[in-house]
Amino acid sequence: MSGLSEELTTAVEPAAGPTPASRTWRAFRRNPLGLVAAGLLVVLLLVALAAPLIADYPRGYGEDVLAGPSAAHWFGTDHLGRDIFAQVVWGTRTSMAVGLGASALAIVLGVAVGVGGAYFKRLDGVLGLFVDVMLSLPVLPLMILVAALAGPSVTTLVVVIAVFSWPEVARVVRSQALPIVTLSYVDAAHVMGAPNRWVLVRHVLPAVSPVIAVSVVVTASRAVLSEAGLAFLGLGDPSSWSWGTILYNAQRSGALSSSWWTAFFPSLAILLLVVAATLVALAYNDARNPRTRQDGTR
Amino acid sequence: MALLRFASLRVLRGLLTLWFAVSVTFFLVRLLPGDPALAIASPTMSEDQRQQILADFGLDRPLAVQYVTYLGELLQGNLGVSFRQSIPVADVLLERLPWTLILTGSALVLTLLIGLPLGVLAATHRGGALDRFIQVGGVIGQSLFVPTVGIALLYTFGLWLGWFPIGGAIDDDVYGLEAYASMLRHLVLPCLSLVVLQIGAYVLTLRTNLIDALGEEYCTVARAKGAPERRVVWKHALRNALLPTTTLVGLQLGFLVGGAVLTETIFAYPGVGRAIYESVGQLDFPVLQGAFVLLAAAVVVANLLTDLAYGLLDPRVRAA
Repeated sequence: MSGLSEELTTAVEPAAGPTPASRTWRAFRRNPLGLVAAGLLVVLLLVALAAPLIADYPRGYGEDVLAGPSAAHWFGTDHLGRDIFAQVVWGTRTSMAVGLGASALAIVLGVAVGVGGAYFKRLDGVLGLFVDVMLSLPVLPLMILVAALAGPSVTTLVVVIAVFSWPEVARVVRSQALPIVTLSYVDAAHVMGAPNRWVLVRHVLPAVSPVIAVSVVVTASRAVLSEAGLAFLGLGDPSSWSWGTILYNAQRSGALSSSWWTAFFPSLAILLLVVAATLVALAYNDARNPRTRQDGTR
Repeated sequence: MALLRFASLRVLRGLLTLWFAVSVTFFLVRLLPGDPALAIASPTMSEDQRQQILADFGLDRPLAVQYVTYLGELLQGNLGVSFRQSIPVADVLLERLPWTLILTGSALVLTLLIGLPLGVLAATHRGGALDRFIQVGGVIGQSLFVPTVGIALLYTFGLWLGWFPIGGAIDDDVYGLEAYASMLRHLVLPCLSLVVLQIGAYVLTLRTNLIDALGEEYCTVARAKGAPERRVVWKHALRNALLPTTTLVGLQLGFLVGGAVLTETIFAYPGVGRAIYESVGQLDFPVLQGAFVLLAAAVVVANLLTDLAYGLLDPRVRAA
């Protein structure tokens, strides 16, 4: 009996040395790939914020139609002579806004359903079935239908993408939350008469927060891809540039077959953003996991 | 008996998914601001003309009546009438469906044929240069934007090298064997685009599962008995690693179909996806709705088949 109580007190004792967060951060900094990727994300975010300072908003017609990359037009011009560098810069803004907006909304919905399902056992069957059904539907055709009906705008895109992205978040969060709700500290909280809300906010949410952090990044990069896909099919916001819109114009006008730069630079932007987001998520996971951290601490 | 129970539960679930897909689209189309009635009946028409058109398409009746009618018609294979072409949606789409099935089916088979050996290679050379290379390739492959891959392939092998046609699914004036050869030539680039996009997920999943399996005790036992490593990998570990990888097929199907929509758009491939692209421009809602229902049905059926295969392969799934 005394052995058990001793074990309990030592378990409750806060671990000596640096906090887990600072250990994760230290391990993350040692991963060059993750650092470069994080730096790239910051740069893209700055480009999105400072777009008006970097390039004039591309509008109207230009004199050089379909000119290749040059000193005057770094990324060349499109079929109406508009500067593609400016389009990519302003497109960063739309892509980032839709990506972050849709991700935020999808995370809120997904965490609510995922944690709710894991915690309230009676809801789990229904919610689980709902998530499974949503996950097995071909999402892009559904997004196309809704975006076409609701009329293209940034708000539409954010809502449409979020509404069909949350099930993935819910699935991941639920599987992480399931083992947590059976742990003894959750039972202990119940025994002490803690209300569900308190247990959820103080015990369950913090335990799944690392998965949520990864989900934010992954969902945002997927949302950027979805936005680009919808814009590529002609469902982008007509009043703002996006990377998908540039590709849509290139495909529609037939510029694609003669002028590689109309497709190359927006594609490169999408690739850089999504690869960077994926690498940051992977590096964070590695840094958080004591088995892959390789710093001798657990 | 357990298998029968398992199978009927899966069929029920497939039907539920289909019903959900159909109902969601039905109500979305009618309740969202982009009123289909406005899309066909323009405000410049006289009131009589407008009412006539709405009555022709059954849009003047109460929502519940429309819903029941729609479900009833759907059971008979009727997906409504295209707003723009004035022919049944089912006729428009069923003519397109085989092309989409050929494209996605060949892409899936090719992905597995290339992806599984790559996954085995990565797992058996864990930590080596080859493994790193395959892993990085897998991550990048999963991050690619579908049109980017399509455009790159079209540019390189279609326009620049001229090896393959840049669009369409078959040449006009070919018969017999030549027709098959033509189909194959047209299929290569769109199919490859989808393979590039999907293969990363399969390779990485199989790699993880196989590494886990190789660490299991039954593999240690097999090695201790003197089985050559090749036999341990292919006969003992791979069989068990393949099971969880099968689930991935189901999870990836929706993504595959989405990829097909974009790929068909780029290569002017006459499948359901291309029909969706054309209907978006014309705001032809019945075709969009029908296309989604049809693709959802295809995914549900394919999912059901994978589930049943999984149940046959792994007795534990049936019991659960």
